[in-house]
Amino acid sequence: MPDPLLRIEDLRTHFFTPEGVVKSVDGVDLTVTPGRTLAVLGESGCGKSVTARSILKIVDRPGRLVSGRMLWTRPDGSIADLASLPPTGPAIRAIRGREIAMIFQEPMTSLGPITSIGDQISETILLHHPISKAEAKSRTIAMLRRVGIPDPEARIAAYPFQLSGGMRQRAMIALALCCAPRLLIADEPTTALDVTTQANILDLMRALQAEDGMAMLFITHDLGVVAEIADEVAVMYLGRVVEQASVDAIFHAPRHPYTRALLRSIPRPGSRARLEAIRGSIPHPLARPAGCAFAPRCDQAIPGLCDTTPPDAYPTEAGSVRCHLHA
Amino acid sequence: MRDYIIRRILYMIPTIIAISVIAFTIIRLPPGDYLTTVIAELSASGAAVDSGTIAALRDRYGLGDPSYIQYLKWISRIVLHGDFGLSFEKNVPVNALIWDRLGATFGISILTLLFIWAFAFPIGIFSAVRKYSMGDYVVTFFGFLGLATPNFLLALVLMYVSVRYFGQSVGGLVSPEFIDTAWSWDKAIDLVAHIWLPIVVIGASGMAALIRIMRANLLDELYRPYVVTARAKGMSEFSLLLRYPVRVALNPFLSTVGWMLPTLVSGEIVVSVVLSLPTTGPMLLRALLSQDMYLAGSIILIASLMTVLGTLLSDILLAWVDPRIRYQ
Repeated sequence: MPDPLLRIEDLRTHFFTPEGVVKSVDGVDLTVTPGRTLAVLGESGCGKSVTARSILKIVDRPGRLVSGRMLWTRPDGSIADLASLPPTGPAIRAIRGREIAMIFQEPMTSLGPITSIGDQISETILLHHPISKAEAKSRTIAMLRRVGIPDPEARIAAYPFQLSGGMRQRAMIALALCCAPRLLIADEPTTALDVTTQANILDLMRALQAEDGMAMLFITHDLGVVAEIADEVAVMYLGRVVEQASVDAIFHAPRHPYTRALLRSIPRPGSRARLEAIRGSIPHPLARPAGCAFAPRCDQAIPGLCDTTPPDAYPTEAGSVRCHLHA
Repeated sequence: MRDYIIRRILYMIPTIIAISVIAFTIIRLPPGDYLTTVIAELSASGAAVDSGTIAALRDRYGLGDPSYIQYLKWISRIVLHGDFGLSFEKNVPVNALIWDRLGATFGISILTLLFIWAFAFPIGIFSAVRKYSMGDYVVTFFGFLGLATPNFLLALVLMYVSVRYFGQSVGGLVSPEFIDTAWSWDKAIDLVAHIWLPIVVIGASGMAALIRIMRANLLDELYRPYVVTARAKGMSEFSLLLRYPVRVALNPFLSTVGWMLPTLVSGEIVVSVVLSLPTTGPMLLRALLSQDMYLAGSIILIASLMTVLGTLLSDILLAWVDPRIRYQ
C-alpha cells in the first residue's frame, strides 16, 4: 500500500441552525491513495457533499468544521493538516484549485454566467502560476482541446449559456484540471446530464486521470457510476462511513447490512421478483438514533446492542466495516 | 453589438414621435389657452378688452388654427430650424430661456446620479455581505429613513441647519453676489458650497432605494454555485466577490440610468422651488400655470428626450456588461 495522499480522520462538520445542530458529517474516516479513484457512495443527505466541501473548507455557513484532521501530502512531501488552516487564508487558497480541484454537480449554474469560459480558466491559471496572459491563454486553449471541446480557439470566448450541458461540464473539468491538481474532487459531476453524455464525461475523466496520474474522490449516489469508475468505495450513511473496501469487494462481498440493502435495491432487467427497498426512511437530521444510525432500518439489528452502543470500525480483508455484526 | 445599438436607436424614433404628440396634447388639455389667461388678467386689472384686440392676438400667436396644424407647425420648426417657438408670457423665443436652465437641471441630475452610485454601490455590497450585522442594521435604518422622508422636508431641514449652525447662505446655486457675474475661481468654490445641498436632497430617496436593490440582488447571487466554484479555484474572497456576484448584481444598477433621470427631473421640481434653483422645474411650473404652451411643451419634450437617451445609454451599458443581453 503506497503512502496515502489524503487521510481524513474523525472529520466532523456540523451546521448550527436555529432549530438545532445538524451533524451532517459526524466522524468520517477516509483514505485517498495517489492515482486511484475513491467513490463516496450514499443517499442524499448522508453528508457526502459536505465531506467533499470540508476538504477544501468551502462549507457554507452555518456549517463549521468542529473537529478532525485532514492530512494532505504536499507536492514537496510535507504534510499539511487542512482542518487547521483558516478557511479564507492564503495557505488553503494556495492548495485550492492548484493541488486539490473540484467539479460540481450543476454545470448550468456552477460557471460564472457572464464571464467567458476562457477567462474563467485562464484566471485560475494566472492565480497559481507566474506566467504571461498570452501563455495562460494558450494553456487554456490546450486544456479545452484536451477535454474534447471542438474548435477551442473560438470557444474560448464562449459564455456558459452558449454551451450545451455536456460542453459546460467539459469546460468545468477543464477549469478544474487546468493547474494539474493531484486530487480531483468530483461532486456528482454526471447527475445533471443525460445518460449518453454521462458516459462520455466518465470516459473523459478516466482518460484524463490516466494521463495525469491524479487521484479522484468521486461523490455519487449512482451504483452504476461507481462500478464504472471506482477503485475503492466508501459507503456513507448519516454522516459516517459505514464500509470502505475495494470496488470488487463492495459489489461481490458486501459486509455492512446497509451496503447489502443498497445492492438489493438495484432493479435487474429480466427479473420478475419484487424490487426490495430499504424499509423505513432516513431519520430526521435532528433526531439521529442512538447507537448504530442504521439500526432502526436494519433487519439484522440486535436489540439492546445496536440501538444503544455506536459500533467501531472493524477491519475486513478488503477494508473496514462499522457494524456490531462484524466485531 | 453594433446591430443591437442600431436597433435600439431605430426603436427610439416612434417613441420620440409619440412623446412629442403626448407633450403637445397634455399642454393643451386644460380649458382655454394663453389668451384666456391674458384676458382674465386684463379684466382683473380693470382694463377693457375689445374683441378686435383678442382676434389680433389670436392670429398673431397662431392660436386660431386647428390643433393638428398647430402641432405640425411647432414640430416642423423644431426639427428643421431648432426653433422651439415663442414664450407668450416673456415674449422672447423659448430657445433664449431654457438652455441655461436645462443645463443646470441635467448638471444637477448627473451629479446626483454619480453621488447616488458612489455611495449606494459600496454600501449595498457591504450590507449584503455583512447581512444582519450591526452595520447592516444602521445602513438599513438610514436607508428606510431616506426612502420615507419627503425630499422637500429634507430640503427645509438641511437649509435650516446650514443657516442656523453654519451661517451659510442657502438657496440658489451661487451666493447672491455671484449671480450674473463671470466665472471665476471664487464663484466655482461658492458653487461647490451650494450644490451639495440639492444633490443630497434629491439623491436621498434614490440612494436609499438603490442600496436596497443592490443588497437584495447581491444576496440573490452570493450563494450561487458559481461563487463556490470561484472559491474552490483559490480566489480571495474580495476579488471573487467583485469578479462574479457583484458583476451579475450590477444589471439593475445600470438600468437606473434610464429610470433615475425622469425621477430626478420630476423630484427636482418641488426641491428647486423650495431651494430656488435656476433649473427647469420652477420655470415649467410657472409655464403650466400661465398656459405658456410652447415653453411648457418644449421643456417637457426635451426632458423626455433626455430620458429616452438615458434609457438608450443604460441599454448599451447593460449589453456591454452582460453577454446574455448582447447575444439575445
